[in-house]
Order: sequence, then C-alpha cells, then structure tokens
Amino acid sequence: MPDLLHVENVSKHYGGVAALKSASFSLWTGEVHALMGENGAGKSTLAKIIAGSVKADSGAIQVDGRAVAITSPLDAQRSGTGMIYQELDLFPHLTVGENIVVGNLQYRERNFVRFGEIDAFCRPFLDQVGLHRSARTIAAELSIGQMQLLAIARALSMNARILLMDEPTSSLFDDSAERLFGLIADLKQHGVSVVYVSHKMSEIFRISDRITVMRDGETIGTRKTSETNADEIIRMMVGRELKAGGRKDRKRSSEVLLSVTGLKTSKLKNVSFDLHRGEVLGIAGLVGSGRSELGAALFGVDQRESGIISLRGNPVAPHSPRHAIRLGIGLVPEDRKLQGLMMQMSVLENSTLGVLGRLQSFGFLRSSREAAEAQPLFRELALKYSSEDACVSSLSGGNQQKVLLAKCLMASPEVLFLDDPTRGIDVGAKEDIYLIIDKLASAGKGVIFVSSELPELLRCCDRILVMREGSAAAIFDGANATQEQIMASAAIGEGASG
Amino acid sequence: MKSFAGLAGILVLAIVLSPTASDGSRIFLQLGNLTDVLRQISVIGIIALAMTFVILTAGIDLSVGSTLALSTTVVAMVLTHDFAGMGYSLHIFVAMLAALAASTAVGALNGAVIALLDIQPFVVTLASMIGIRGLAKWLSGNANIDIGFGQDVAAAFAAVFRQKSVVIGSYLALAVVFWILLGRTVFGRQVRAIGDNEKAGRYTGLPIRSLKVWVYSLCGLLPGFAGILYAAENHQGNPNAGVAYELDAIAAVVIGGTRLAGGKGSIAGTIIGTLTIGVLTNMLRLNNVDSNVEMMIKAVIIVLAVAVQRQRGVE
Amino acid sequence: MKYGILIAVALVAVGCGGTSSEKKQLFVAFSQCNNAEPYRAAQNALMTKLFAQDPGVKLVIADGQQDNSKQVAQVETFIRQKPDLLIVAPNERAALTAVMGQAMEAKIPVICLERDILQPNYTAYIHSDNMAIGRQAGQFIADYLIKKNGTAKGKVVQMRGLLGVEGEIKRDRGAKEIFAKYPGIQVIAEPVADWIQAKAKDRMTEVLRAQPSIDVVYGHNDPMAIGAYLAAKELNRDKNMIFVGVDGLGGTAGGIKKVMDGILAATFVYPLCVDKAVEVGLKLLHDPSFKPEKDYTLPSTMVTPENAAEMYKKFTVDE
Repeated sequence: MPDLLHVENVSKHYGGVAALKSASFSLWTGEVHALMGENGAGKSTLAKIIAGSVKADSGAIQVDGRAVAITSPLDAQRSGTGMIYQELDLFPHLTVGENIVVGNLQYRERNFVRFGEIDAFCRPFLDQVGLHRSARTIAAELSIGQMQLLAIARALSMNARILLMDEPTSSLFDDSAERLFGLIADLKQHGVSVVYVSHKMSEIFRISDRITVMRDGETIGTRKTSETNADEIIRMMVGRELKAGGRKDRKRSSEVLLSVTGLKTSKLKNVSFDLHRGEVLGIAGLVGSGRSELGAALFGVDQRESGIISLRGNPVAPHSPRHAIRLGIGLVPEDRKLQGLMMQMSVLENSTLGVLGRLQSFGFLRSSREAAEAQPLFRELALKYSSEDACVSSLSGGNQQKVLLAKCLMASPEVLFLDDPTRGIDVGAKEDIYLIIDKLASAGKGVIFVSSELPELLRCCDRILVMREGSAAAIFDGANATQEQIMASAAIGEGASG
Repeated sequence: MKSFAGLAGILVLAIVLSPTASDGSRIFLQLGNLTDVLRQISVIGIIALAMTFVILTAGIDLSVGSTLALSTTVVAMVLTHDFAGMGYSLHIFVAMLAALAASTAVGALNGAVIALLDIQPFVVTLASMIGIRGLAKWLSGNANIDIGFGQDVAAAFAAVFRQKSVVIGSYLALAVVFWILLGRTVFGRQVRAIGDNEKAGRYTGLPIRSLKVWVYSLCGLLPGFAGILYAAENHQGNPNAGVAYELDAIAAVVIGGTRLAGGKGSIAGTIIGTLTIGVLTNMLRLNNVDSNVEMMIKAVIIVLAVAVQRQRGVE
Repeated sequence: MKYGILIAVALVAVGCGGTSSEKKQLFVAFSQCNNAEPYRAAQNALMTKLFAQDPGVKLVIADGQQDNSKQVAQVETFIRQKPDLLIVAPNERAALTAVMGQAMEAKIPVICLERDILQPNYTAYIHSDNMAIGRQAGQFIADYLIKKNGTAKGKVVQMRGLLGVEGEIKRDRGAKEIFAKYPGIQVIAEPVADWIQAKAKDRMTEVLRAQPSIDVVYGHNDPMAIGAYLAAKELNRDKNMIFVGVDGLGGTAGGIKKVMDGILAATFVYPLCVDKAVEVGLKLLHDPSFKPEKDYTLPSTMVTPENAAEMYKKFTVDE
C-alpha cells in the first residue's frame, strides 16, 4: 500500500537563508504523525509547503503514489490536504457557513448566497467535529476552541484526507484540548491522517503514532512513538547530549527565606506559603488564577491590602519594583518584549540596566566595568550572541530570555520570581534555563517558578503551589505529585479531571 | 549614519547652487556666511539639545518657545532694574541667574506634573506653552523691554552676548556637554531606557519619576539660556518671542534621526538635523526663494527624513 | 531614492527663485517684516509694480513673518549677496538696529521704510508723520464728541498695534496729546491687537463685555477698527459707537471703502511710503552722486464720508 503522502528532498530558500535544506517525510493512511523540532528547524515551512501556501524550490511530493505539483492552496485542496494554522485563518465577520464554503471546491457556488443550501452542506461536517452551533453564527462569536473546530470542519468539507495542524493546543484550555484529541482519534478511524506540529512532548507521546524530528532544515529521523522516549527525541532535536536539571541532587535548607501569610491585593484573595533557602517552588494554576499577580504583589507592582510578607524573618512592604529590588527580591516578567527588555538597546546595555549605580564614577559609566561584570554572567547562562553591542531584538527568544535573566541576576536577588520563563523558546534554551534554576537554588537562593507546563514544573521544582481564583489552593510535593492531581486542584470545582 | 548623508547632500547642493560674488568666490562658502549660518541656528540648536532628551523618553515639550520668551523678559527686566552701586559683572550674573532660574523652574513644573500626576506630556506642555507666555506678558506689562543701546549695564551685556563667537561657542560647548551626558553617563543611559520601554524600566527599578523631572527641567534650562542669547541679539526682552520655535526644535531632532516614539536617537543626530535645516534655509535664501516656498520645502524635508528612518529602521 | 526626490525638489525650488542672470541687473533687496498685514501686502504690490517699470532692476522681497530673528537672518543673508540697494521695513526697532548697521558698514545703501529703529543706521528714512495722524485722529474724535454731546465728553476705546513700533507709539501719543486738552474724554480701555483684525475682534469682545457704555473706538489701523466693528455688531452694539481707523488703503478691502459703506466714521490715509522709497531708491541706483535726505516725512489725508468716493478713486491701485 503506497504512502498516503510522500515528500522527497524538498528544499526552500529565502534570499540566502535556507529554511529547508532537505526534508523527506512520509505519511500513512489513518495515522497521527508528529513533526517536532526547535524553532527554525523548518517544520512550519515543511507543513506550509504541503499545504500549498509556500512553494518549494526543489523536491517531489506524491499523494497516493501519484506525483502532484502543489503550488497553491487550491492545488492542496485538490490533493485532499487542509491546514489548520496556529493563527486561524478564518473570516471573523462572516458566518460559520460562509467560512466553510468560501473557496471550497466541493461547494457549487451560485451568484446569490443561499443560506439554506449552505446550512445543508455544512451540517454534517459541523456535527462530525462536534461544533453544535448554527451555521449562521458569526465566526467572531465562537470561542477559540470552537473556531479551531470550525477550521477542521472546513478542511473536512473539502474532502481532506490529510490534515496539517500547527501548534493546535497553544491557545486552548485543557478541556478543549481533550475534545480535540478525541476528534483526532475519531478521524483516524475514518482514514484521515493528521500531521501534528507541536512543541509539547506530553501531547505527542499521547496521541501520535510516529514522530519525525527536524533540525536545521533537515529531517533527522522518524521513530514509532511506542518505540522511543522523550530523551531520545530531545537528543535528536538538539543534536547534543543534555544534562537534565538535577533536582534529585539538590537539598533544600530548612531556613525559611520568604514567608507569605494571608496576602491580599486587589487581584489576590488569600495567599500563604513559605519559601526555603535553596528551594525551587513551582506555581501552577489556570490562566487568571493569580500566578502573575502573586509576582506583582511580591515585587511591589500591586499594592498589598492586607497580609504579611516576611523576608528572612523581617516583615517587608515592597511598594515599588525599585524598592523590591533593594530588598533583594527579583522578578523576571512574563512578557519579555513588553515588560522585560529594551528592544532597541544592546545586549550589554539591557543586562546592566538595573545596576548602573555600581558601574559608574561621578555619574560617568565605565564601559570596561560593564563588560567585566556582564561577560562572566553571559558565560554562565550559555548566552549565544554575536557581540554584546548587538541589538537585543536580533537574538532568538531563548537568548532574549537569558539576557533578561542576566539583568535580574546582576542585582543579586535572594528571592527570584520567574514568570513563565520558558514560554515560546526552543528546547535547547529551555534545558539551559532548567540548569540555571537548579544552580541558583544550589547557591542558596529561593526560586519561585511559574509555568503552564506541568511536566517542567514536576521536573524542576521541590514543591508546587497551586493557585485557584486568586488564592493558594494546595501544595504538592514535587517528587510525588502527578499532573492529574495538579490539574484537578487547579480547575474549578473539586474532582474534575483533565 | 543616515542623517549625516542627508546633511552632506544638502551641503553639496548648497555649494553647487551658491551664487558667486564679484570676486568669483561662492557666497555660501564665505567664512562670514558660514559663521552667520552657525549663529542663526544656535538658538534653536540649543533648544534642540534638550528636546532630544525629552523626545528620547517618548515625551514632547511644546512650551520651549514660551520659556524662551519668559527668559528674555526676565533677563531684560533685571538688567534694566536699578540696583544702586552693583558692579556690571555682578548685575549681569544676577540677571542671567534669574532668567535661568525662572526657566528651569517652569521646566521642572512641567516635569513634576507629567511624572507625578501621570498626564500626557503633549497636554501638559501645551497648557504650559500658553501659561508661560501669559506669565511673560504679565511680568512685562505686555510690552517689550529695550536694552543695549545706551551706556549702561544692559548695553554691556548685549555687547558681550550678541557676539558671534560667544553665541556659536556657547552652542558648541553645550553640544559637547550634552553629547557626553547622553552617551557616557548613567543618566543618559536611563533616559534612553525609559523611552524605549517605560514599563520594563519600572520593572528594572529605574527612578522613572525623577528622571522625567530632570529631563523636563533641562528643557526649561536650555531654552532659558537660549533666551539670554536671544535678548542680547535682539536687544530686547520680548514676551512674544519664540513663537513656533518648538516646532523648529522638534524638526531638528526628528531630522537628526531620533524617533518620536522614544528610545533611539543621539545628540550627534540632533546637531546634524539642526545644521541641515540651517544650511537648507541659507541655500534657499541665497537663491532668493520665496519665503512661503521655503516653508513648503522644509515641510517636505521633515516628512522625507522620517520616512527614510522608518524604511530601514528597527521596527 | 528618497534623497533623490529631495534633491529634485530643492533644484526646482531654486529654479523658481532664480539666481543672478547673465545680463547684469541691479539687485534690490526688500526685507518686509510681515506679509500677512494688508498694509504691507499693499506695500509689496506697489513696490513690485513700480520697480517693474525699470527693466534693469531685479527686486526680491523676503517675509520676516513678524519674527525678529527671522528678519535679522534674512537681512544678514541679503548682506552676503551684496545687493545694490537694501530696503528694510523693520519688525521691531531694537531688534533690527544692529543688522542694518552691518549693512551700512558693508557700504550697501539702506532705506528704512515706514518704521524707525533705535539708531540712524540707514541712508534714508521714509515715513509719514504718525504723530500728526494721531493728533488729527484725536481732534476728529473730540470734534465728534462735541457735536454729539454738546461738550467734549465721552468714552474712548483705543485698539493698539504691536507695542514698541514707532507707528503705534506715535499714533497713541498724538491722540493723547489732544485728549489731554479735554478732560471729559476718557480712554477706558487700551487692548493690544498687534495690527491684526481677528485679534482686534477678540479683544473688543472682551472690552464690550466689561464696558456698558462706549462712544468711540479708535483703532491704530483699519483692520483693527474693522475687527472691533465686527465684535460690536455681533453683540448688537455697533450703532451706539463710531469706529475710527488709520491706513486708508484703496481697493475693496481697504479702509476708504469702509468709510463709504458707513462702517468707519473716518480713516486717515497712511501713505504706503513706497512711491517715495522707489523714487529715492532709483536715484540711488542710477546716480552715484545723488545725496538723499536723511529723513523724508510724507503728509497724510483725512477721509470722511464727504470725500470718501473721491479718495477711493485716487488711492485705488489698479490690480
């Protein structure tokens, strides 16, 4: 039986830069095939070539054993391929039905829009994906999860047998993600194959049949999911041996560094916890549960209304970030572009910005002292940069995050609050950051680590605090907790699973 | 740097299109003309130095022209006031000090309102533009104060401070000071940072409010100094002076490559922008271009300068 | 590419301006203080017309836009170009004195037009007698009040021009000299409107609200008197007072027409001084031995409804 889809030696160059050097890939009927790789590995480009929105420079594509030329999305439609983009490409002001039939080769277009006909055409596909809304609903009124289902319904209505999905769960809450996985399993039964591009290891290992890893524009290899593990995949993605963060070797001290009791702000209701010296405390919770707001309260951005914050046994009341830094509290904010970095300044300038006071004499900056202070820290963080005068906007996301980290660390905080520090960065850099967190804890600092990715919390943290609706709901031990327990604690209502 | 290419281009044009004098030399290149141009741009140039700092913080100061008027008024009033038995040098010093104190005070007030009450700089300085001019007019009784044609201290003041060498020398000295201030000091670095991303600056613990007060105070001090030079050049304290000077200063800063959105820019750029406008104006005048056409050309230049920046700038 | 456009624009503009041509023309430079005033626009028009009659003369007019620094810079640039004759209508006395001295030092003949400066840094000063005009206006007002009220008693609003300018100072002083003789005449408000009609309208509105009773509005120029009239008309009080102006320009926009239309009770022709300036200027250009007077004072005429039609014909420059 020929492969449903076979891609051979495809390449794509933009100007002098090779986005794809040589990618080969095959897809079987009724399989979920994951495409993994770091940022810039070429997986999105490969997916777009198959979907027809990007034209390959060389190489061959075969569908059902027959060679096809895919030079436009229409060609892709004719070959039975549909793509669900990460930023959904729906028309928000048109109705659900109109979104499905526009440009749809399977729908016979008339001069006048006939809503009844559209309804009839769309209904079966909407039901298949489980979108139980009227076809006359305006697309903008749907939730993100529903919009995604609409995109899938549209692809199915075009008789797609190959569905390409680019980071589909990046903006979904967990129950929508579950529905998606259920739909994918269902589609598999009906002979539809899914090419699933994603970062999230846990999902991949859950739903995929095979995994193809890409690195630097080339396909490195394909494995059956059941025959491999996360470490091997990571190794293939990164191309080098990684040292995993050694939580097990680290012992946290019994000395309490930071103690929070009954903390209340305009956004927090009641938070209490202790942070020990040498401990990494994870913060989990749904979006809006108050995780970032906790950082804002500790860092003096939000004003404390009641409750006590104690640092090393002494009550403190940070009223501004400036004050918090002086007290020894550091914060790496969630959005590095909006809240963290000066995008027009250089790597060096960004990193030393918080400590200019000790790099000057009579108000004049000593550039030799700046470099002398920053360079060792850059080495420790394994920062990759062309020159320290390079503009920070030219760095990759992971390296930008390291610059931000460098800036916070230069102020020598004792307590460091990291708000989603690995968001949107590639696997190699993530591993580096886990290592850094581990080193910080070993050096006796207290680290608070907020993240939406439970696996990484379980890996790095000594304990995990779960926030729910502005309050601290539960604390779990890092070594023994499971994702299900944490999710249950975070979700609204007791006992709700996943 | 891009703005330097622009200046070079205009210089070439000015030389090529310069009318020739009877002895064959190009009028534009005559030393007297070149120093004229430098003197003519000095007042706006000095104001533009301070405006660079304000714009770097993503702010703006529309009140600089009115502050200049206030300064000319104060210096003239103090100079013409009879302090029995005070020596000339001390009298001049006191007059200048009074003018600088008044200008810096209104600048600091701008800064305080902007920083502490968190009102947009455009709005605050628009209001103070009107208020400060009102203050100047009130102080002088709505009249000009003539100085400098007698034998008194005012004349001595004017004789010294209207000299080309003093005016140009002051501009150059201030330019160097501000270049160092922006490029080499903690203050300069922090100013650029909060213009680039004020929120991030807050999270970094930068003293945002005091930085803003300082920046707007400078934008009172320098127009104040420019006002002193203006009073000497024009032999009068004039509460109606400096109308629309803020636009010329902003144009110089923008042509020099500083972005209005803040964070990116330089003193060198502002100086180049100032020179560009000065040379352009001189070239047009030497060729007897109508004053209104001159204004239209200036408008085109400003838009082009910003367009060139955006095309190849960091976005 | 963008700089290419810039260069093209600059070249076109310079082409419009015109550099010195092949045939050696005599270059007359005129630094006007503010083209925006109708009086000065009339000066420019007349000067252009008169100099155009001599093909050997090239006239260039620069507009100082009522900014001292700008006008000083423009005169400086003119000096660099070594004109054969420099005419200056100074924006303010103190500001332009020094630079006109520089022109004299550069051996350029300088005519100071209509407004004076603090020191006699000119070859000739051509003006009219603003003091006499002020006195004429004052007397007209006094006579009107005597006819209206039986004695010289009444409330006068004086709308003043740009302070510090010779015209403003003298027109005020001359009138006040006459008013001093009649203690019953009170000057109840003296707003400053910088010669501009719109400003005068605003100032007058404020005065009207403050003063319940006004007999005469004396504007230092016609546009200001007209502005005051418009303000009074809006508040329906124009019939309670008379408006007196100065300038007496011809043409449909001028003060003489307003007298004919009954808006102004009287105006005083303030000569443009241009015909005398051109006469003296041409002599300076063509006759090297000509020694002009230092000071030329031109007379003025009062325009009332009786002689308005005749004056209109006389002073209207055919456009």
